[in-house]
Amino acid sequence: MALPSDAGSSAGSTPEPSEVPESGSLSDGPERRGRVRLRRAAVMAVPATAIAAGLMILTAQGALGVQFAISGMAFTVTATNLDGRGFEQFGALDQMAEGSPNEGDTGGQVLVVVSAIKNATLTKLCQSVDLGGTNLLITAGQGAQKVTATDLTTDSTELTGDAAFGNIEIGNDASTLDKAGVQGPKGVFSQQADTVKIANLRQTNYATTAAVFKLPGLRLRFSEQGC
Amino acid sequence: MAALRRWRAARPFWGGLLLTLGGTEILLTEKASLKVVMHIGMQGLAGYLLPVLMLVCGLLVLFNPAQRLFYSICGVLLSLGTWLTSNLGGFLIGLLLGVVGSCLTFGWLPDQEPRRARSWRRRNRVPVHHP
Repeated sequence: MALPSDAGSSAGSTPEPSEVPESGSLSDGPERRGRVRLRRAAVMAVPATAIAAGLMILTAQGALGVQFAISGMAFTVTATNLDGRGFEQFGALDQMAEGSPNEGDTGGQVLVVVSAIKNATLTKLCQSVDLGGTNLLITAGQGAQKVTATDLTTDSTELTGDAAFGNIEIGNDASTLDKAGVQGPKGVFSQQADTVKIANLRQTNYATTAAVFKLPGLRLRFSEQGC
Repeated sequence: MAALRRWRAARPFWGGLLLTLGGTEILLTEKASLKVVMHIGMQGLAGYLLPVLMLVCGLLVLFNPAQRLFYSICGVLLSLGTWLTSNLGGFLIGLLLGVVGSCLTFGWLPDQEPRRARSWRRRNRVPVHHP
Protein backbone atom coordinates (compact mmCIF):
# COMPACT_ATOMS: atom_id res chain seq x y z
CA MET A 1 0.00 0.00 0.00
CA ALA A 2 1.58 3.21 -1.12
CA LEU A 3 -0.17 5.67 1.10
CA PRO A 4 1.66 8.80 -0.06
CA SER A 5 0.75 8.18 -3.67
CA ASP A 6 -2.87 7.49 -2.68
CA ALA A 7 -3.07 10.78 -0.90
CA GLY A 8 -1.39 12.45 -3.84
CA SER A 9 -3.90 11.01 -6.29
CA SER A 10 -6.91 12.21 -4.35
CA ALA A 11 -5.48 15.67 -3.82
CA GLY A 12 -4.12 16.01 -7.33
CA SER A 13 -6.86 14.69 -9.57
CA THR A 14 -10.06 14.75 -7.43
CA PRO A 15 -11.39 11.85 -9.49
CA GLU A 16 -15.01 11.94 -8.28
CA PRO A 17 -16.09 15.29 -6.88
CA SER A 18 -19.11 13.82 -5.11
CA GLU A 19 -16.88 11.60 -3.03
CA VAL A 20 -14.56 14.30 -1.81
CA PRO A 21 -16.64 15.47 1.19
CA GLU A 22 -17.09 11.88 2.40
CA SER A 23 -13.59 10.69 1.87
CA GLY A 24 -12.11 13.92 3.03
CA SER A 25 -13.13 13.08 6.58
CA LEU A 26 -11.37 9.72 6.36
CA SER A 27 -7.67 9.54 6.88
CA ASP A 28 -6.83 7.04 4.10
CA GLY A 29 -7.78 9.00 1.01
CA PRO A 30 -10.65 8.17 -1.39
CA GLU A 31 -13.50 5.78 -0.55
CA ARG A 32 -12.48 2.14 -0.86
CA ARG A 33 -15.24 -0.06 -2.29
CA GLY A 34 -15.58 -3.79 -2.81
CA ARG A 35 -15.32 -4.73 -6.46
CA VAL A 36 -15.53 -7.79 -8.71
CA ARG A 37 -12.10 -8.94 -9.88
CA LEU A 38 -12.60 -10.42 -13.33
CA ARG A 39 -9.88 -13.05 -13.12
CA ARG A 40 -11.29 -14.30 -9.81
CA ALA A 41 -14.83 -14.45 -11.21
CA ALA A 42 -13.54 -16.37 -14.23
CA VAL A 43 -12.27 -19.14 -11.91
CA MET A 44 -15.92 -19.99 -11.30
CA ALA A 45 -17.46 -18.76 -14.56
CA VAL A 46 -15.41 -21.01 -16.85
CA PRO A 47 -16.25 -24.39 -15.22
CA ALA A 48 -19.85 -23.28 -14.58
CA THR A 49 -20.32 -22.43 -18.26
CA ALA A 50 -18.76 -25.75 -19.26
CA ILE A 51 -21.08 -27.71 -16.96
CA ALA A 52 -24.14 -25.76 -18.15
CA ALA A 53 -23.22 -26.44 -21.79
CA GLY A 54 -22.66 -30.12 -20.98
CA LEU A 55 -26.07 -30.41 -19.30
CA MET A 56 -27.78 -28.84 -22.29
CA ILE A 57 -26.00 -31.08 -24.81
CA LEU A 58 -26.77 -34.22 -22.78
CA THR A 59 -30.41 -33.18 -22.47
CA ALA A 60 -30.67 -32.47 -26.20
CA GLN A 61 -29.28 -35.93 -26.94
CA GLY A 62 -31.80 -37.48 -24.58
CA ALA A 63 -29.03 -39.09 -22.52
CA LEU A 64 -30.03 -37.38 -19.27
CA GLY A 65 -32.97 -38.58 -17.27
CA VAL A 66 -33.59 -41.77 -19.22
CA GLN A 67 -30.59 -43.90 -18.29
CA PHE A 68 -31.29 -46.28 -15.45
CA ALA A 69 -31.01 -49.97 -14.76
CA ILE A 70 -34.35 -51.76 -14.84
CA SER A 71 -35.36 -53.78 -11.79
CA GLY A 72 -36.34 -56.83 -13.82
CA MET A 73 -39.77 -56.98 -12.16
CA ALA A 74 -42.48 -56.58 -14.75
CA PHE A 75 -45.47 -54.39 -13.96
CA THR A 76 -48.84 -54.15 -15.59
CA VAL A 77 -50.35 -50.92 -16.85
CA THR A 78 -53.96 -50.61 -17.97
CA ALA A 79 -56.07 -47.70 -19.13
CA THR A 80 -59.55 -47.55 -20.61
CA ASN A 81 -58.39 -45.06 -23.22
CA LEU A 82 -55.07 -43.71 -24.47
CA ASP A 83 -54.92 -40.70 -26.76
CA GLY A 84 -51.53 -39.67 -28.13
CA ARG A 85 -49.91 -37.32 -30.61
CA GLY A 86 -46.51 -38.31 -32.03
CA PHE A 87 -46.08 -42.08 -31.71
CA GLU A 88 -43.04 -44.33 -32.26
CA GLN A 89 -42.42 -48.00 -31.64
CA PHE A 90 -39.25 -50.08 -31.99
CA GLY A 91 -37.47 -53.04 -30.47
CA ALA A 92 -34.69 -52.70 -27.91
CA LEU A 93 -32.76 -54.60 -25.27
CA ASP A 94 -32.99 -53.53 -21.60
CA GLN A 95 -30.26 -54.34 -19.11
CA MET A 96 -30.92 -55.27 -15.47
CA ALA A 97 -28.65 -54.17 -12.65
CA GLU A 98 -25.56 -56.37 -12.29
CA GLY A 99 -26.25 -59.50 -10.25
CA SER A 100 -29.99 -58.87 -10.03
CA PRO A 101 -31.90 -61.85 -8.55
CA ASN A 102 -34.46 -61.45 -11.34
CA GLU A 103 -31.90 -62.35 -14.01
CA GLY A 104 -32.73 -66.06 -14.15
CA ASP A 105 -31.29 -67.58 -17.33
CA THR A 106 -31.74 -64.38 -19.35
CA GLY A 107 -28.28 -62.95 -18.62
CA GLY A 108 -29.97 -59.87 -17.19
CA GLN A 109 -31.33 -58.73 -20.52
CA VAL A 110 -34.94 -58.34 -21.58
CA LEU A 111 -36.12 -57.90 -25.14
CA VAL A 112 -38.69 -55.12 -25.11
CA VAL A 113 -40.80 -53.03 -27.43
CA VAL A 114 -40.20 -49.34 -26.80
CA SER A 115 -43.26 -47.16 -27.35
CA ALA A 116 -42.66 -43.42 -27.28
CA ILE A 117 -45.47 -40.86 -27.28
CA LYS A 118 -44.81 -37.13 -27.47
CA ASN A 119 -48.07 -36.07 -25.78
CA ALA A 120 -50.30 -38.67 -24.19
CA THR A 121 -53.63 -38.48 -22.36
CA LEU A 122 -54.80 -41.53 -20.43
CA THR A 123 -58.16 -42.26 -18.81
CA LYS A 124 -58.41 -44.43 -15.69
CA LEU A 125 -54.75 -45.37 -15.48
CA CYS A 126 -53.92 -48.38 -13.33
CA GLN A 127 -50.46 -49.77 -12.58
CA SER A 128 -49.69 -52.88 -10.53
CA VAL A 129 -46.56 -54.79 -9.55
CA ASP A 130 -46.86 -58.38 -8.41
CA LEU A 131 -44.81 -58.65 -5.23
CA GLY A 132 -45.72 -62.29 -4.62
CA GLY A 133 -49.05 -62.68 -2.84
CA THR A 134 -49.86 -59.00 -2.88
CA ASN A 135 -49.86 -56.24 -5.48
CA LEU A 136 -48.67 -52.68 -5.25
CA LEU A 137 -51.54 -50.91 -6.97
CA ILE A 138 -51.47 -47.34 -8.26
CA THR A 139 -54.50 -45.72 -9.85
CA ALA A 140 -54.96 -42.20 -11.20
CA GLY A 141 -57.25 -40.24 -13.48
CA GLN A 142 -60.41 -42.00 -12.30
CA GLY A 143 -62.39 -38.75 -12.12
CA ALA A 144 -62.96 -35.99 -14.63
CA GLN A 145 -59.29 -35.02 -14.81
CA LYS A 146 -57.20 -37.25 -17.05
CA VAL A 147 -53.61 -38.39 -16.70
CA THR A 148 -51.28 -36.50 -19.07
CA ALA A 149 -47.67 -37.19 -19.97
CA THR A 150 -45.11 -35.66 -22.33
CA ASP A 151 -42.18 -37.57 -23.84
CA LEU A 152 -43.60 -40.78 -22.45
CA THR A 153 -41.64 -43.93 -23.23
CA THR A 154 -42.57 -47.43 -22.10
CA ASP A 155 -40.50 -50.60 -22.46
CA SER A 156 -43.03 -53.43 -22.77
CA THR A 157 -42.99 -57.14 -23.46
CA GLU A 158 -46.71 -57.32 -24.14
CA LEU A 159 -49.25 -54.81 -25.39
CA THR A 160 -52.92 -55.42 -26.10
CA GLY A 161 -55.83 -53.15 -26.94
CA ASP A 162 -57.95 -51.78 -29.76
CA ALA A 163 -55.72 -49.40 -31.65
CA ALA A 164 -56.26 -46.74 -34.32
CA PHE A 165 -53.35 -44.87 -35.91
CA GLY A 166 -53.29 -41.72 -38.03
CA ASN A 167 -50.65 -41.33 -40.79
CA ILE A 168 -48.78 -44.46 -39.84
CA GLU A 169 -45.41 -45.43 -41.38
CA ILE A 170 -44.39 -49.04 -40.86
CA GLY A 171 -40.95 -50.47 -41.50
CA ASN A 172 -38.77 -47.42 -40.91
CA ASP A 173 -35.25 -47.85 -39.62
CA ALA A 174 -35.43 -47.19 -35.88
CA SER A 175 -32.63 -44.62 -36.10
CA THR A 176 -34.62 -42.41 -38.50
CA LEU A 177 -37.73 -41.90 -36.37
CA ASP A 178 -38.82 -38.28 -35.85
CA LYS A 179 -42.42 -38.19 -34.58
CA ALA A 180 -41.72 -38.40 -30.84
CA GLY A 181 -38.08 -37.29 -30.64
CA VAL A 182 -36.62 -40.68 -29.67
CA GLN A 183 -34.38 -42.81 -31.87
CA GLY A 184 -33.69 -46.51 -31.62
CA PRO A 185 -30.68 -48.56 -32.72
CA LYS A 186 -29.74 -48.70 -36.41
CA GLY A 187 -31.07 -51.59 -38.45
CA VAL A 188 -34.05 -52.29 -36.21
CA PHE A 189 -37.64 -52.50 -37.44
CA SER A 190 -39.85 -49.65 -36.29
CA GLN A 191 -43.07 -47.83 -36.96
CA GLN A 192 -44.35 -44.34 -36.28
CA ALA A 193 -47.60 -42.40 -36.54
CA ASP A 194 -48.88 -38.86 -36.09
CA THR A 195 -51.73 -39.87 -33.79
CA VAL A 196 -52.61 -42.98 -31.83
CA LYS A 197 -55.77 -44.05 -30.02
CA ILE A 198 -55.83 -47.25 -28.00
CA ALA A 199 -58.93 -48.42 -26.16
CA ASN A 200 -58.75 -51.01 -23.36
CA LEU A 201 -54.97 -50.70 -23.22
CA ARG A 202 -53.09 -53.39 -21.33
CA GLN A 203 -49.28 -53.45 -21.16
CA THR A 204 -46.69 -55.57 -19.40
CA ASN A 205 -43.84 -53.13 -18.83
CA TYR A 206 -40.29 -53.21 -17.57
CA ALA A 207 -39.69 -49.45 -17.55
CA THR A 208 -41.55 -46.21 -18.03
CA THR A 209 -40.04 -42.76 -18.38
CA ALA A 210 -41.65 -39.39 -18.97
CA ALA A 211 -40.46 -35.79 -18.98
CA VAL A 212 -43.66 -34.74 -17.25
CA PHE A 213 -46.20 -37.19 -15.86
CA LYS A 214 -49.24 -35.62 -14.23
CA LEU A 215 -51.34 -37.99 -12.16
CA PRO A 216 -54.51 -36.30 -10.84
CA GLY A 217 -56.31 -38.30 -8.19
CA LEU A 218 -53.31 -40.54 -7.50
CA ARG A 219 -53.96 -43.46 -5.16
CA LEU A 220 -51.28 -45.93 -4.05
CA ARG A 221 -52.15 -49.02 -2.03
CA PHE A 222 -51.55 -52.73 -1.57
CA SER A 223 -54.21 -54.96 -3.02
CA GLU A 224 -55.00 -58.65 -3.47
CA GLN A 225 -55.81 -58.09 -7.13
CA GLY A 226 -53.72 -56.50 -9.83
CA CYS A 227 -55.04 -54.42 -12.66
CA MET B 1 -28.38 7.72 -0.97
CA ALA B 2 -24.92 7.94 0.54
CA ALA B 3 -25.89 5.31 3.12
CA LEU B 4 -27.11 2.97 0.36
CA ARG B 5 -23.91 3.55 -1.59
CA ARG B 6 -21.81 2.65 1.41
CA TRP B 7 -24.00 -0.41 2.14
CA ARG B 8 -23.62 -1.59 -1.44
CA ALA B 9 -19.87 -0.96 -1.38
CA ALA B 10 -19.39 -3.35 1.51
CA ARG B 11 -20.98 -6.43 -0.15
CA PRO B 12 -21.25 -8.17 -3.56
CA PHE B 13 -24.50 -6.33 -4.25
CA TRP B 14 -25.12 -7.23 -7.92
CA GLY B 15 -24.05 -10.84 -7.42
CA GLY B 16 -26.42 -11.36 -4.51
CA LEU B 17 -29.25 -9.52 -6.27
CA LEU B 18 -28.94 -11.55 -9.49
CA LEU B 19 -28.81 -14.85 -7.55
CA THR B 20 -31.94 -13.84 -5.59
CA LEU B 21 -33.74 -12.79 -8.79
CA GLY B 22 -32.75 -16.07 -10.47
CA GLY B 23 -34.27 -18.12 -7.66
CA THR B 24 -37.43 -15.99 -7.73
CA GLU B 25 -37.80 -16.33 -11.50
CA ILE B 26 -37.54 -20.13 -11.34
CA LEU B 27 -40.10 -20.25 -8.52
CA LEU B 28 -42.50 -18.13 -10.62
CA THR B 29 -42.27 -20.61 -13.52
CA GLU B 30 -43.42 -23.47 -11.28
CA LYS B 31 -47.11 -24.17 -11.57
CA ALA B 32 -47.48 -27.55 -9.88
CA SER B 33 -49.62 -27.29 -6.76
CA LEU B 34 -48.15 -28.40 -3.47
CA LYS B 35 -50.58 -31.32 -3.37
CA VAL B 36 -49.24 -32.70 -6.65
CA VAL B 37 -45.65 -32.14 -5.51
CA MET B 38 -46.28 -34.18 -2.38
CA HIS B 39 -47.69 -37.00 -4.48
CA ILE B 40 -44.70 -37.10 -6.81
CA GLY B 41 -42.29 -37.19 -3.86
CA MET B 42 -38.62 -36.21 -3.80
CA GLN B 43 -38.39 -35.48 -7.55
CA GLY B 44 -41.22 -32.97 -7.31
CA LEU B 45 -39.99 -31.51 -4.04
CA ALA B 46 -36.51 -30.85 -5.47
CA GLY B 47 -38.14 -28.68 -8.12
CA TYR B 48 -39.16 -26.24 -5.38
CA LEU B 49 -36.28 -26.89 -2.98
CA LEU B 50 -33.46 -25.82 -5.32
CA PRO B 51 -34.83 -22.39 -6.31
CA VAL B 52 -35.80 -21.67 -2.69
CA LEU B 53 -32.22 -22.45 -1.62
CA MET B 54 -30.93 -20.23 -4.47
CA LEU B 55 -33.08 -17.39 -3.13
CA VAL B 56 -31.82 -17.99 0.41
CA CYS B 57 -28.18 -18.06 -0.79
CA GLY B 58 -28.71 -14.79 -2.67
CA LEU B 59 -30.19 -13.08 0.40
CA LEU B 60 -27.39 -14.43 2.61
CA VAL B 61 -24.80 -13.07 0.16
CA LEU B 62 -26.41 -9.64 0.64
CA PHE B 63 -26.88 -9.79 4.41
CA ASN B 64 -23.95 -11.97 5.48
CA PRO B 65 -21.24 -11.17 2.90
CA ALA B 66 -18.47 -12.58 5.12
CA GLN B 67 -19.48 -16.13 4.05
CA ARG B 68 -19.86 -15.19 0.36
CA LEU B 69 -17.54 -17.90 -1.00
CA PHE B 70 -19.61 -20.72 0.47
CA TYR B 71 -22.88 -19.12 -0.63
CA SER B 72 -21.61 -18.48 -4.15
CA ILE B 73 -20.38 -22.08 -4.59
CA CYS B 74 -23.71 -23.42 -3.29
CA GLY B 75 -25.49 -20.89 -5.50
CA VAL B 76 -23.76 -21.96 -8.71
CA LEU B 77 -24.31 -25.68 -8.01
CA LEU B 78 -27.99 -25.09 -7.18
CA SER B 79 -28.43 -22.95 -10.29
CA LEU B 80 -26.97 -25.67 -12.50
CA GLY B 81 -29.08 -28.28 -10.71
CA THR B 82 -32.31 -26.46 -11.49
CA TRP B 83 -31.75 -27.42 -15.15
CA LEU B 84 -32.72 -30.96 -14.17
CA THR B 85 -35.29 -30.26 -11.47
CA SER B 86 -37.14 -27.02 -12.25
CA ASN B 87 -38.40 -26.43 -15.80
CA LEU B 88 -34.90 -26.39 -17.35
CA GLY B 89 -33.79 -23.73 -14.88
CA GLY B 90 -36.85 -21.52 -15.26
CA PHE B 91 -36.54 -21.86 -19.05
CA LEU B 92 -32.83 -20.93 -18.87
CA ILE B 93 -33.41 -17.35 -17.60
CA GLY B 94 -33.23 -18.13 -13.89
CA LEU B 95 -30.30 -20.49 -14.39
CA LEU B 96 -28.30 -17.81 -16.22
CA LEU B 97 -29.15 -15.15 -13.59
CA GLY B 98 -28.09 -17.55 -10.84
CA VAL B 99 -24.81 -18.57 -12.48
CA VAL B 100 -23.84 -14.97 -13.35
CA GLY B 101 -24.78 -13.81 -9.84
CA SER B 102 -22.75 -16.58 -8.21
CA CYS B 103 -19.71 -15.81 -10.39
CA LEU B 104 -19.92 -12.09 -9.58
CA THR B 105 -20.14 -12.97 -5.88
CA PHE B 106 -17.21 -15.37 -6.13
CA GLY B 107 -15.07 -12.79 -7.90
CA TRP B 108 -15.93 -9.95 -5.53
CA LEU B 109 -13.28 -8.70 -3.13
CA PRO B 110 -13.79 -6.07 -0.43
CA ASP B 111 -11.73 -2.97 0.09
CA GLN B 112 -10.49 -2.40 -3.48
CA GLU B 113 -8.85 0.80 -4.59
CA PRO B 114 -11.11 3.08 -6.64
CA ARG B 115 -10.80 2.25 -10.31
CA ARG B 116 -10.14 5.74 -11.61
CA ALA B 117 -7.63 6.58 -8.90
CA ARG B 118 -5.77 3.34 -9.57
CA SER B 119 -5.37 3.97 -13.28
CA TRP B 120 -4.37 7.58 -12.58
CA ARG B 121 -1.73 6.39 -10.16
CA ARG B 122 -0.35 3.83 -12.63
CA ARG B 123 0.07 6.53 -15.23
CA ASN B 124 1.80 8.80 -12.75
CA ARG B 125 3.88 6.21 -10.91
CA VAL B 126 7.16 7.32 -12.45
CA PRO B 127 6.90 11.04 -11.61
CA VAL B 128 5.69 10.28 -8.05
CA HIS B 129 8.54 7.95 -7.23
CA HIS B 130 11.17 10.15 -8.81
CA PRO B 131 10.51 13.66 -7.62
